[in-house]
Amino acid sequence: MRSIRKFGEQYKESKLGLLGLSIFLLFVFASAFAGVLAPYPIGPTQGDRNYILKPPSSKYLLGTDELGRDMLSMILYGGKVSLTIGILATLITAIIGTLVGVTAGYFGGKTEEILMRFTDVFLVIPGLPLMIVLASLLGATFWNMILVIGIQGWTGTARVLRAQVLSLKEKLFIESARSIGASDTRIIIKHIIPNVLPLIVAQMVLRIGSSILSASSLSFLGLGDPTHMSWGMTLHYAFSVGSLFSNFYWYLIPPGVCITLVVLSFTFIGYALDQIVNPRIRER
Amino acid sequence: MGMGRVVAKRGVYAIMLIFIMTIINFFLFRIMPGDPVAMMVSPSITAEVRQILLTKFGLDKPMHIQFIKYIQQLLQGNFGLSFTYQRPVINLVLERVPNTVLLLLSSYVITVILSIILGLIAAWRRGGKLDISFTIFGLWMHSMPIFWLGGLLLLFFSVRLGLFPVIGVSTPWLKHENIFSYMADVAHHLFIPMMTLGIGNIGGMFLITRNSLLDIFSEDYIMTAKALGLSNRTILFHNVLRNAMLPLSTIILMRLGFIIGGAVTTETVFTWPGVGLLIYNAVMQEDYPLLQGAFLIITISAVLANFLAEVIYGYLDPRVRYE
Repeated sequence: MRSIRKFGEQYKESKLGLLGLSIFLLFVFASAFAGVLAPYPIGPTQGDRNYILKPPSSKYLLGTDELGRDMLSMILYGGKVSLTIGILATLITAIIGTLVGVTAGYFGGKTEEILMRFTDVFLVIPGLPLMIVLASLLGATFWNMILVIGIQGWTGTARVLRAQVLSLKEKLFIESARSIGASDTRIIIKHIIPNVLPLIVAQMVLRIGSSILSASSLSFLGLGDPTHMSWGMTLHYAFSVGSLFSNFYWYLIPPGVCITLVVLSFTFIGYALDQIVNPRIRER
Repeated sequence: MGMGRVVAKRGVYAIMLIFIMTIINFFLFRIMPGDPVAMMVSPSITAEVRQILLTKFGLDKPMHIQFIKYIQQLLQGNFGLSFTYQRPVINLVLERVPNTVLLLLSSYVITVILSIILGLIAAWRRGGKLDISFTIFGLWMHSMPIFWLGGLLLLFFSVRLGLFPVIGVSTPWLKHENIFSYMADVAHHLFIPMMTLGIGNIGGMFLITRNSLLDIFSEDYIMTAKALGLSNRTILFHNVLRNAMLPLSTIILMRLGFIIGGAVTTETVFTWPGVGLLIYNAVMQEDYPLLQGAFLIITISAVLANFLAEVIYGYLDPRVRYE
C-alpha cells in the first residue's frame, strides 16, 4: 500500500505523465459513453441521405461521410474499437514477451540461448510487412487483427524482462526460496512475476500506442474489419472516397487527430512510468 | 580479431538468418487456412500452365518435397509467378526496388540530418524552452500515423496549392531532352513523399540522438573545456561532435534495418511505384505468390541491411575487431 502511494507521488511530479493520463481518461470516457454522447446512430443504413459528404454545419458538427453518417458520432464509436484493439493486442504481446523473457532469464543456459536467438530472428523481420502477410492470409476480421498485431511486437518486452530476471534471480530471497525446496514454477509465479510486474505494465503502456498505430496502418491498407469502424477504418474510407482530391478535410482530419492524441497519451504515460520503474533510467 | 573475421562471422550469421527466413516464409503460406494449391495457382489460368506450375513447385507432392522444390526454384531465381501480372515475381519486385530505395534513402537522410540538428540544440539547452518543444514535437511525430501525415501534406501542397504532382515517380507522357530534366522531374515527384517519411520518422530518431548527445554533454571533458573558457563553437565541433560520431553512426546504422518495410503505407498514399505499393496491390488482388515473393525479398533485404550495418560498425569501432 505504501509503495503504491509512493508511486503516486512520484507519478504526480511528471507533467507529461499527468497530461497523458488526462487525455487517456478523456478518450476512455468518450468511448465508454459513446452510445449516450453520440448525437446520431452510425449503422450503414442509418445515415442522412440528404447530407452526403457535407462539411461541418450546425446540424452535423463535424460533417458527414459518404453514407450521410455524422462524423462526430463515428469518432465517438470509433474510439471504442481502436482502444479495444490496441489494449487486447498489447495483452497478447505482454503474455508472449513475459513467457519468453522470464523463461530465458530464469532458466539460463541452452533454453536462454535458443529463446534469445529466436527473439533476434524475430526482431529482424520487418514488422508491418509481417502483419500485412499474416492479416491477408488469416482474413481481415476484428479478432485476426488483434492476433496479428499481438504476435508482432513482443521482442522488446522479452529482452527487458530477461535482463531484469537475470539480476533478480541472484537476489537472496530467491536463493532462500530455492533452498527450502520451492519449485521453479512456484518461484516464478510467487516471486519473479510480482517483482517484474511494474516493468511489464510500463512496457505494455508503451506498446499500446504502437499497437493502435499498427491497427490504423493495417486498416488503411484495407486489412481492417468493415463491421468494426475504428478510427483507422474511418481513415481508410476517407482515403478511398477521394477526400484528398475533393478536399473532404472534415472526413480526413478528426480520425487522424484522435489516433495521434491517444497514442501520444500512452507515450506520455509510458515515458513517466519508465522513469519510475525502469532500474536503468533510475540509476542515471 | 581482424576485419576479415568480423565480416566472415557476421556473413555466416546473415546467411543462416536468410535460410531461417526462407523456411518461415515457406511454411507461413502453407499452414494457413485454405487450399495452398489454389492459393499459389491462379484459378483463371489455363489447365496447361496450371499443370506446369504444379510440377515445377511440386504442389501435388507432400510438404517436404514441396519445400525442397521451393528452395531449388529460389536458388534458380524463381520466386513464383504473379496471378495478376502473369509475370515472374522476381522481375516485378526488382523493377520496383530502385524507386523504394530512392524514397527510403533520401527520406532517411532528411530524418538523420534534422534529428542531429534538433538533438544538438535540445541537448545544448537541456531543460530549456527549445528542448521541451522539440521533445514534444518528437513525441507527437512518433505518435502520428505516417500515411495520415502524407495525406495531409498531399492534400495541402499538391492538391490545394498545386505545387507538386499527386502520383507516381515521374510524368509518364513527358519526353525528356536530357538526363537532368528527367532527374528534376523525379525530384519534383519525390519531394512530398520524401518529406512525409523524413519528418514522419523523426520522432524516435530525435529522441535517441538527443539522449546520446546528453551523455556526451555530461562528460567531464566538456566541463573542462567550458571551464577553460573555450568558445561554444570550439566545444561543439571539437569536443561534442567528434565524440558523438561513434554513437551517432551506430544509431544511424542500426536503424537502417528498421526503415525497410516502413514505406508500404507512404507508397500507397502517393501511388509511388515501389515494393510497398506492389505489396499493397498483391493484398488487394489476393495475389499470394507475389505477396510471398515480395515478403521474402523484403526480409532478406532487412537481413542484408543489418549485416552491412554490423560490418561498417566493426570498421568504425576498433573494439569490435579486437575483443
